[in-house]
Amino acid sequence: MPQSTIILIVIFSGLMIAVSFLIGLWSQKKADSAQAYFGATAMFGPVAVGLSSMAGIASAFALVGVPGIIYATGNTMTFWMLSGGAFALAYLILGKRVRAMAEVAPISSLGDIIDIRFNNNRLIKAFASIIITLGCVGYLAAQISAGSALIAHLLGWKPIVAGLIIFGILTIYTVLSGEVGGILTQAFQGFIMVVAGVVMIAAFFIITGGFGNVLEAVAAAPEVIGSNGVTKAMSPDMLGAWGLMPGGIALTWMLIPILGAVGQPQILVRLYAVKNPRDLPKAGIVTAITHTIVGFLAVCVGYGALYLVATGAIEPLASGDQAIYAFADYVGIFAQLLVYAAVLAAAMSSASMFLTTSSTLLSKDLPSALGINISPKNQVSVSRVFMFVLGIASIVVSIYSTEMVALLGTFGWGTLVSGTFPVFILGLLWERTTEKGALFGVTFSLIMNIVPFFGFKYPSALPAYFITTALAVAITVFVSLLTKKEPVSAKLDAVMKL
Amino acid sequence: MDISKNKDAMVILIAVLWLACIVLGTIGYHVLAMCLGVVLMLLHALLGVAHNDVVNKKFLVYPLLIWAGLWIASFLLSGYYGDLFAGQMPSFTVLGLHPSFAPTVFFYWIGGQLTLNLGLYLYADKWLSEEQWEQFLDKVKSLKEVE
Repeated sequence: MPQSTIILIVIFSGLMIAVSFLIGLWSQKKADSAQAYFGATAMFGPVAVGLSSMAGIASAFALVGVPGIIYATGNTMTFWMLSGGAFALAYLILGKRVRAMAEVAPISSLGDIIDIRFNNNRLIKAFASIIITLGCVGYLAAQISAGSALIAHLLGWKPIVAGLIIFGILTIYTVLSGEVGGILTQAFQGFIMVVAGVVMIAAFFIITGGFGNVLEAVAAAPEVIGSNGVTKAMSPDMLGAWGLMPGGIALTWMLIPILGAVGQPQILVRLYAVKNPRDLPKAGIVTAITHTIVGFLAVCVGYGALYLVATGAIEPLASGDQAIYAFADYVGIFAQLLVYAAVLAAAMSSASMFLTTSSTLLSKDLPSALGINISPKNQVSVSRVFMFVLGIASIVVSIYSTEMVALLGTFGWGTLVSGTFPVFILGLLWERTTEKGALFGVTFSLIMNIVPFFGFKYPSALPAYFITTALAVAITVFVSLLTKKEPVSAKLDAVMKL
Repeated sequence: MDISKNKDAMVILIAVLWLACIVLGTIGYHVLAMCLGVVLMLLHALLGVAHNDVVNKKFLVYPLLIWAGLWIASFLLSGYYGDLFAGQMPSFTVLGLHPSFAPTVFFYWIGGQLTLNLGLYLYADKWLSEEQWEQFLDKVKSLKEVE
């Protein structure tokens, strides 16, 4: 890549980081209470909530990993990326009840909801906090690793230098402004991703002429042998609905992202950040438009890379993860500027989301579950220190320990689904969910998310998180039915009947 | 539609459907499992939209049942055309899309947006009306005063 192009990319990405920092700094004055700092409770309208939710969901994996998987194995992954309806489904399943919780008590974290729903049951809160933290820290490490590697590669810097500059800035503005700054910066970063999406989608149609030409090109080139020594096999089956992956994977990548979206902290915590629950349908429209563009961007880029390789315009890719960069490089400087900034924006938005959530869980919810109560007045200061330490430690560990990143990378979306369904989804949809039911479900989920590291494997080709979620839900339901029905307080009853 | 007497049965069905999905997915019946997955999601949606355990009938028809129907049709069509053209170039395309992928784009993706997202927006009052929200706030206020 020419030096002038690299300089322009760095300036453009640097501007994006600088604006994010300024937004975070400005947001500090709004984070004037524990509820605002931890939860931005009842503070935002549909545009900020919708854009930040989309940006939190669409991580660096969505922009880099997904096109790579589509390039490598075809359409299976499109079930995951064309899932814009998931937000509305999440809102109509749980939106009004989670938001209503903030009216019956001062909600500022997921742990607060567990306290109200399960009568301050410490074990449920502790186990749920641990599972959600595992998922969040896993995501956080992956974003830091990907974002730092991108800029380090571009500039020839050491990854630790790139990581400390980019994610150090992110840590500082997140520490200062908490969830308020998190939502506003994520909304801005989501906007950058949308702009990049519009340009790349247009470029895809201009370059390829449409999906039909991609299908024909792929069918006409069963094997492309590059002068770089890389061979790429292709077939029309790649562009069928199921792609080249087993059907069970298509099932998983449809059900877990769509239904599982309601169990993601990126969506759950935003449900109580909205000013009025009646704004959620409007937020659904915002997420529908923005996720449609970003999701379609990932699909188009994967298709575009296949087309370029099949027609001999570029060499076969050594790694699928190069798909988005290879396509952007082919399109030209304008696309390169936007794509690099968008990938960085995706990494930063998800990183700040998971930094605030995991530090809140570790410095507020988990200590209270263990009986360590910090006064509300000191809670924000304690959490700020904790968040700073967690942010810096995450940068160092993510960059120096590839083994740790790989280990944490196994926790993610599926881990969060398996941990949140027994407690939040069943807990808020079904009055009959008992403390014992939720405790058995969440304990099973915690154990089954850890035992694979000791060699355990389910006798199935389906991903373990899918099976763990299904079993955890079943355990929660059947244990609840087998245990004594518990009375629900009048306020909780009002929430669950809303 | 009053679901108050059927809630336990609906939640038991949710548990059974989760288990059915992993069993069917494991033994190779992924299309059937995806159709059951739609029923699983629909049950969650019914429990979520119910106000005082009553689901608005208009909201049930659109967006919910139309969405569920579109998605089940999408998976069945993808399964049919996927089998029909397995290992070969399809004899036709739908706007350039592989015939098994076209239902994913038009029914699953765009259809999902036009039902779930647009339906929730258009029928927001049937999901949560201003009056219901105000009544809830009043009730919480009175309960807090009693405490």
